[in-house]
Amino acid sequence: MSTAAAADEPLPELDLRLTQENLEDLYEHAPCGYCSCLPDGTLVKLNQTLLGWLGYTAPELVARQCLQQLFTVGGRLHYEMYCAPLLLLQNQVRELSYLLRRKDGTTLPVLMSAVLLRDTNGQPLVVRVTLFDITERRKYEQELLRARQHADEQREQLARANEELTRKNEQLSRINADLDSFVYTASHDLKQPIDNMTGLFQELRRTVRFPDAEAVPMLDMFAEALQQILSTIQGLTEVVQLQRQLEQVPTETIELRSFTEEIVRSLQQRLSEPAATFALDFQAAPTVRMTRSSLHSMLYNLLSNSLRYAQPGRPPHVRVSSAHVGNALVLSVQDNGRGIDLVRYEQELFQLFRRFHPEVAGSGMGLYLVNRLVNQAGGRIEVESTVGKGTTFRVFLTTGIPAAATSSGPSNLSA
Amino acid sequence: MDVLRRNNVTVSGAGQRAIVFVHGFGCDQRMWRMVTPAFEASYQTVLLDLVGAGHSDLAAYNPARYSTLAAHAEDVLAVLAALKLTRVVLVGHSVSAMIGVLAAIREPDRFSHLVLVAPSPRFVNDVGYTGGFEQADIDELLEAMDNNYLGWSGAITPVIMGHPEQPELTAELNASFCRTDPTIARHFARVTFLADNRAELPQLRTPALILQGSQDALAPLAVGAYLQQHLPNSQLVVLNTSGHCPHLSAPQATVAAIHHYLGPAPAPSQ
Repeated sequence: MSTAAAADEPLPELDLRLTQENLEDLYEHAPCGYCSCLPDGTLVKLNQTLLGWLGYTAPELVARQCLQQLFTVGGRLHYEMYCAPLLLLQNQVRELSYLLRRKDGTTLPVLMSAVLLRDTNGQPLVVRVTLFDITERRKYEQELLRARQHADEQREQLARANEELTRKNEQLSRINADLDSFVYTASHDLKQPIDNMTGLFQELRRTVRFPDAEAVPMLDMFAEALQQILSTIQGLTEVVQLQRQLEQVPTETIELRSFTEEIVRSLQQRLSEPAATFALDFQAAPTVRMTRSSLHSMLYNLLSNSLRYAQPGRPPHVRVSSAHVGNALVLSVQDNGRGIDLVRYEQELFQLFRRFHPEVAGSGMGLYLVNRLVNQAGGRIEVESTVGKGTTFRVFLTTGIPAAATSSGPSNLSA
Repeated sequence: MDVLRRNNVTVSGAGQRAIVFVHGFGCDQRMWRMVTPAFEASYQTVLLDLVGAGHSDLAAYNPARYSTLAAHAEDVLAVLAALKLTRVVLVGHSVSAMIGVLAAIREPDRFSHLVLVAPSPRFVNDVGYTGGFEQADIDELLEAMDNNYLGWSGAITPVIMGHPEQPELTAELNASFCRTDPTIARHFARVTFLADNRAELPQLRTPALILQGSQDALAPLAVGAYLQQHLPNSQLVVLNTSGHCPHLSAPQATVAAIHHYLGPAPAPSQ
């Protein structure tokens, strides 16, 4: 038939061909497998397509074999357990996936649908079965199954790793709490005898005369050592108490300028360094959101460190400023002091009782405390330092709320 | 925990004695529907879904707990306790026949008779024992199940994982007759087909009727004979039907055999 004429003429001819379709031939050579069975599965009729797939002749199967015997054992079990009861219960099953076992032993994946016909008394009469060859589809399905199994395994591994992490985390939290209570107990238990020693020593000093001329400086050294122990204990108590407070105290929005000025004033009162100067610049980020005690302790320790570790012969100058960097609020404390050898000490900078300038009195707790407070607030610290030139601490607080610039411009205070 | 809801227990019928039907692997209590009407006139009939099947509380399916049939037996006992039932007739199909045996060994007073429909104490062959299958066959079955659950599990899994806030998924699960979560089905298949309860059989004191199909690929005749030998007070009746579900393929014969075994039921309470 020519394509040009197709528009008008050929339709009747096509219709005619369809009506003349040989039903017997359609059944035998349909592009799917057909078979009919008794209710127990006994095969009574199979089409040529199915026989061709299986490699059997009709007499080899009809009345001799059951449908389920054409499946692999797994399929047969599935049929008996699931398909057969379902057929009896709802008279049909659809899209069941089985493997046919050919006469030569090889397998053919098929998708099966079946209906159960009943006689006039409602008794099961015959099962009509359609089978489709799904060789190609099965390959994709196997891929999918493998991928799913793989994903399941990964998920299980992940869940296990997660459990392990949670367990470790709980363990660490416990250890941390134990340590805190140990430190608290230790500092508390040490305080009493040291206080006694201090009192006894003062009393001894008042009442006893030492003939040896060297006794006096030795007594002074003893007093100094006692003082050091006391301040260490004091520091330890503070660390623990702060930690406990932090767990309860809410955060608030704090005006940086007035807050820092207050700290500077209190430092100035006990200042031994002459002519220390401060420069405050909070124009870019005037407020920070944090617990008041944390911010105080953090700034106080950083500022007092800047003064304590001033370079001999150079009046200390400390610049405190704030800025927004990305999502974080950055608080910077920059000094012109002795500096720290970061190449050597960077790893231990924030460890408890670690000291880098033994010639200067200190407890080794300030930076430990600062770091802990910042971590607690969800932030981190960066340090830059050059020995002999000075140090800059930058505290990054991700919880900082960006605030509009107010009138608080740069200010200079001198002491 | 409400065990009656957990096991989707339905009670009907009028009678002094109770008869409890427990379905086997692959379906739920609806597979008894051709049999139960015959008992409703003279018995209180109790139907339940094993946890993990039908309309049971799927979230209660803890694979660790249900790794042996004993857990299902405990569930059956819990249901009987909740209903305050003793001396019941338990009709168990396939794996639930064994679940019934385990329950009756544990609390004999709860049961007067067991009816074991197509039972098997062990599906896998062993030295001196014919169960009908090799280990490899069971592996193949699990594979066949995987292939049949392929396109379906993704949509239905959220129900199983405990998201009752998605009612449309629950509805889909309920609508699909005799279908259950593939993960549970796979696990339950493993527990069922790898179970070995031969050692418990001699401990049963409750009289038991073994109802076997004459052509049952899952429980061959040798298995029925083995059970009769090892269950102290048992009778074997072979029904002339094919397949593993005589209560579906030969419901009248099944009902008649059970009635015959139990004798006339006591008159319903006045």
